[in-house]
Amino acid sequence: MRARPLRVALVGNPNVGKSVVFGRLTGRYATVSNYPGTTVAVTRGRALVGAEVCDIIDTPGVNTLDGHLSEDERIARHVVENGDADVVVQIADARNLRRALVLTGQLAAFRKPMILVLNLIDEARARGVDVDAERLSAELGIPVIETVAVEGRGFDELRAAISVGAVPNLPARQAEALSRWAHELTGRVRRISHLSLARVQERIARAVREPLTGLPILAVVLYAMYLFVGVFGAQTLVALLEEDVFGRGINPAATAFANRFIPIFFIRDFLVGEYGLITMGVTYAIAIVLPVVTTFFLVFGFLEDSGYIPRLAIFSDRLFRAMGLNGKAVLPMVLGLGCDTMATMTTRILATPKERLIAIVLLALGIPCSAQLATIMGILGGISFAALVTLFGVVLGQMFLVGFLAARVLPGERSPFIMELPPVRLPRIRNLTTKTLLRVRWYLGEAVPLFLVGTALLFVLDRLGALVVLARIGRPIVTGLLGLPAETAQVFVMGFLRRDYGAAGLFELAHSGQLTGVQSVVALTVMTLFVPCVANLLMIVRERGWKVSLAILGFITPVAILTGGALNHVLRAFGISF
Amino acid sequence: MSSVRLASPSSHPRPLSSLSAGTSGVVAHVLPDIAGHAERLHALGVTPGALVQVLQTFPGIVFQCDQTELAVERAVGHLVLVAPE
Repeated sequence: MRARPLRVALVGNPNVGKSVVFGRLTGRYATVSNYPGTTVAVTRGRALVGAEVCDIIDTPGVNTLDGHLSEDERIARHVVENGDADVVVQIADARNLRRALVLTGQLAAFRKPMILVLNLIDEARARGVDVDAERLSAELGIPVIETVAVEGRGFDELRAAISVGAVPNLPARQAEALSRWAHELTGRVRRISHLSLARVQERIARAVREPLTGLPILAVVLYAMYLFVGVFGAQTLVALLEEDVFGRGINPAATAFANRFIPIFFIRDFLVGEYGLITMGVTYAIAIVLPVVTTFFLVFGFLEDSGYIPRLAIFSDRLFRAMGLNGKAVLPMVLGLGCDTMATMTTRILATPKERLIAIVLLALGIPCSAQLATIMGILGGISFAALVTLFGVVLGQMFLVGFLAARVLPGERSPFIMELPPVRLPRIRNLTTKTLLRVRWYLGEAVPLFLVGTALLFVLDRLGALVVLARIGRPIVTGLLGLPAETAQVFVMGFLRRDYGAAGLFELAHSGQLTGVQSVVALTVMTLFVPCVANLLMIVRERGWKVSLAILGFITPVAILTGGALNHVLRAFGISF
Repeated sequence: MSSVRLASPSSHPRPLSSLSAGTSGVVAHVLPDIAGHAERLHALGVTPGALVQVLQTFPGIVFQCDQTELAVERAVGHLVLVAPE
């Protein structure tokens, strides 16, 4: 008998459904998407398999465990190699048996009991791919189980097999011999009856990846996204929550309650005053930012599950190559439009340290998160289209310039663009809602406390008279170089605590008519380029360490201010007023 | 079995990057290189004997290899030698 639970490692190629299997076995949700590289860290969960308690370990997708390894591949290899796993369950996409078998051969070298799961058996059959599981099991000497993980099919068999995993009877082979063996074994156990390329999915896949149809589709997708997030989320829902729910409901009620029951002015002011925890902190977090974050994550989840986002990599590859990256970088960049903190974590899918560093800097510098994006749309949309174009032109231009220079200045390599395109699928509503809820919960848990801390800090600064001092220190820069009203300094202080928080502050300033068109554009440009929010900064520290993080901070701050200053003077010199 | 055919002149191996959309063939050889691109391709199933079909050539090369759809930049396409069918 073992003194500890049986450790079961789930290993497999990217995008074969490891996280779905993990969720089915443990009842826990690991982020599931339709593109390679969703799992960037090891997730553990406990499952009862028969009478035995098991620790299930979900690992990032791997293409190989020998030779040149990516960060993910090293993590997965470590789990299998260092005695962490008692049993290895390899999850395979039944359609891509050949690739899976190369991995099986490599895993066999670790001499651990194994089970091979042929997942996505339904999609394989629909494509006319049929695998003889019994024969495969006999040839490998391990149990082979067929599953459709999203529907839970084949899981009774899988649970039963975990305790009877066997060490594969395969000789060690070198790379060449291994791929020949995998090729031949695939030929013996797999039958392909027809390769139907005329299915609806294939047509959609082609339409979105060819420039002639793909670029118009991209424009439509972006516009639809704008309508849903920028108009429905940022305007309709925000107006409903901010004006009706908070403006007429919660805030007056809280104020009335405080006036009656809290005799101490200081505490009352702390809760419901100008910088009150409820009237400012909670209102910003729930009424202004939450609707935007939720609608963005819904759209993003739909796009990632449909297989659309990886196809954007084909268009963007050349552009990213000029910036020392490759098309793959489109994934963290698009995710950054939702939340830069989350996106910073996803840069691990990039192959080299240089690429990861450039991507992290570009995310921090130029990619506005959903809350900021909504504020930008909300403020500038009301001014003019030219104002919007100016802001995005400056920010994207700055990003490109920084990327272009970084690609040449930083040491290290760019990796070649080789990307697997996942099949086009209709997203499952359940996965979409679970994923969105999980992300919103993450936002509430991570961001809202920071909002409240920010509000409290602001309150204290205000009490101590420090806001006036800070504003005075910042005045030469804010009013002189940037040509903004002095109050903006205070918004920038908020922006340091959290970018979207600062953005929401600007929103208030603009709406109360304290900013002109030029001032709005300049302030938002600086805010977009400015220091990442605290959460993002902490994530950068986690990924790259303090030294690099401080260097990034020390680089971005002057870039943001100087760019804003230049923009201010150029706009004024040419007499542009939007 | 689909063995590698090099003999017939009609199927003389050519770089994947030189093939037009719609062409299919069998991978004859993946040129080794220092940066490890070949290993990556290998891991994704682009190995000698694999059936490929070019789906698109611009802005990047998109091809189907076995049951996997892959997008690569031109420089990577130079490394994969395909015997067209």
